[in-house]
Amino acid sequence: MSRAVRVWRVLLTGLLVIMAIAWLLPAVWVLVTSLKPTENIVRVPPEWIPWPATIGHYGEVLFSSSRTARIGRAFFNSIVVSLGSVAVVVLTSAMAAYPLARMRFRGRDLVFGLLVGSLMVPNAVILVPQYVLVQRLGWLSTYQGLIVPEAAMTFAFGVFLLRQFFLTIPSELEDAARIDGADPWQIFTRIVLPLSQPVLGALAIFAFRSAWNDFLWPLIAVNKPDMFPLPVALALLRGAYAAESYGPIMAGAVLSALPLLIVFLVANRRIVEGVRVSALKG
Amino acid sequence: MRRGAFTPYLFLAPGLALFAVFRVYPLLEGLWLSFTNARLGRAQQAFVGAANYARLLDDTRFHVSLWNTAYYTVASTVPILAVPLLLAVLLNRGVAMRTFLRGAFFFPFTLSVVTVGLTWLWLLDPVIGPSTYYLRAAGVPVRSWLADPATAMWAIILTTVWWVTGYYLVIYLAGLQDIPRELYEAAAIDGAGGWRSFWSITMPLLRPVFLFVLVTHVIGSFQIFGQVFVLTGGGPGDATRTVVQHLYETAFQNFFHFGSASAMAWVLFVVILVFSLLQFRLLRGHTQY
Repeated sequence: MSRAVRVWRVLLTGLLVIMAIAWLLPAVWVLVTSLKPTENIVRVPPEWIPWPATIGHYGEVLFSSSRTARIGRAFFNSIVVSLGSVAVVVLTSAMAAYPLARMRFRGRDLVFGLLVGSLMVPNAVILVPQYVLVQRLGWLSTYQGLIVPEAAMTFAFGVFLLRQFFLTIPSELEDAARIDGADPWQIFTRIVLPLSQPVLGALAIFAFRSAWNDFLWPLIAVNKPDMFPLPVALALLRGAYAAESYGPIMAGAVLSALPLLIVFLVANRRIVEGVRVSALKG
Repeated sequence: MRRGAFTPYLFLAPGLALFAVFRVYPLLEGLWLSFTNARLGRAQQAFVGAANYARLLDDTRFHVSLWNTAYYTVASTVPILAVPLLLAVLLNRGVAMRTFLRGAFFFPFTLSVVTVGLTWLWLLDPVIGPSTYYLRAAGVPVRSWLADPATAMWAIILTTVWWVTGYYLVIYLAGLQDIPRELYEAAAIDGAGGWRSFWSITMPLLRPVFLFVLVTHVIGSFQIFGQVFVLTGGGPGDATRTVVQHLYETAFQNFFHFGSASAMAWVLFVVILVFSLLQFRLLRGHTQY
């Protein structure tokens, strides 16, 4: 590699690092704000070192019940709903994707075509009728009223993603198991699923992210403060404080970002791979 | 029947039941509702023909919402296509620390729309927000961006670009990596510079990726709601009121009129379909090498 190319790469790296840090500054500012005592938050010029630091805002939003929604409770609700939705999506879409990838049967192409076509249907279009349905089931302000519709929202994408992966598993493995007398369910659970762990992980993260971050559906499907998931609780928290009380609101924002930040730091590559496969293998 | 002929259907059953009940049935029920006078809490609903659609023709707030939503979609398309592409092309030039860089740009995409909205609400605070301070220090006349009809939508676009750039960046990067190196080497031998090979190789070969990004962005943009709900509430006046916000308020805030809201939903659906098909038409073309 020539000297000029090397110098150019170092300069480019430097430029991109500066841009990346600038890109993260809004998030850093949120974190810094959440750690400052209220009187320091309003100080101008902006102070980027939160000193003296306090975790008082966190305690307030997590446990205080004097304001609208408690973020602690909302955090718990979001965990239940997101994990529940992940379980439903991964199970149902893996089971559906397997025959679509590996078996011949009547109606296969029709089913797959319908599922892929449904990816083009905007969620907003079924908002009102979904509300009517969930109300009729008596599921408003319940966990199942959030888990099941969130799972249904991600199901078709899950089938698409997993089918792409199942198609790449060599059929010799299944043939060998079949000769040894394994039935389809055993082949699915003992051979196909263990081989698919990376893509199942990617789907689980994707489903967790969409359920954790969804705002519009829980905004209408939940009307008891104790059942609010985080995005709804946060949006209402803002209305409960005076305009300049950014401390507690930013503490809530940081708390809501934590689980996915941790997942993201641990599974960065898997997330990127999931996005890649889902977008380009179509 | 052959033994095991039911097997595929048994595997499909749980997922298809979920899909049929919570996706297909509501879609059809919504179409039916749009031709009725259904309201929240009204037990009986009557068929009213196309009355809901006819009323939308006179609903000026709906027209404003539709216009704002289309404006947002079109105005945000250039930055949403260009910013991640620029970053992806730079990141693909053999720079160090790629994983960190990609992660930094991707991070905002892991946040909920509410968290993103609150972040920018604070950054853009007209009195004590940091952007206000630094812009003033740089001599820029600072207004209350979110309270000014001329700038509110652009603040929402800025917020959205920050939120989703990382997602599209990852997709562009994957697309760039699928382009065979030999093409660039051959172009270099023929004397093509970096700019020339970008326009003659990178851009045409990225066409399917553009199409994906564009269609995904347009479907998402037409449904914009969360950013508006948090940042402006549709204001000032109705300057940032969007279709989904109008639909939400019609169905769940002000009138509880499900029939009318369903008609809006189907108008939106048709608009999105038309835009998507147009894009397929424009961008599919033949790509030959």
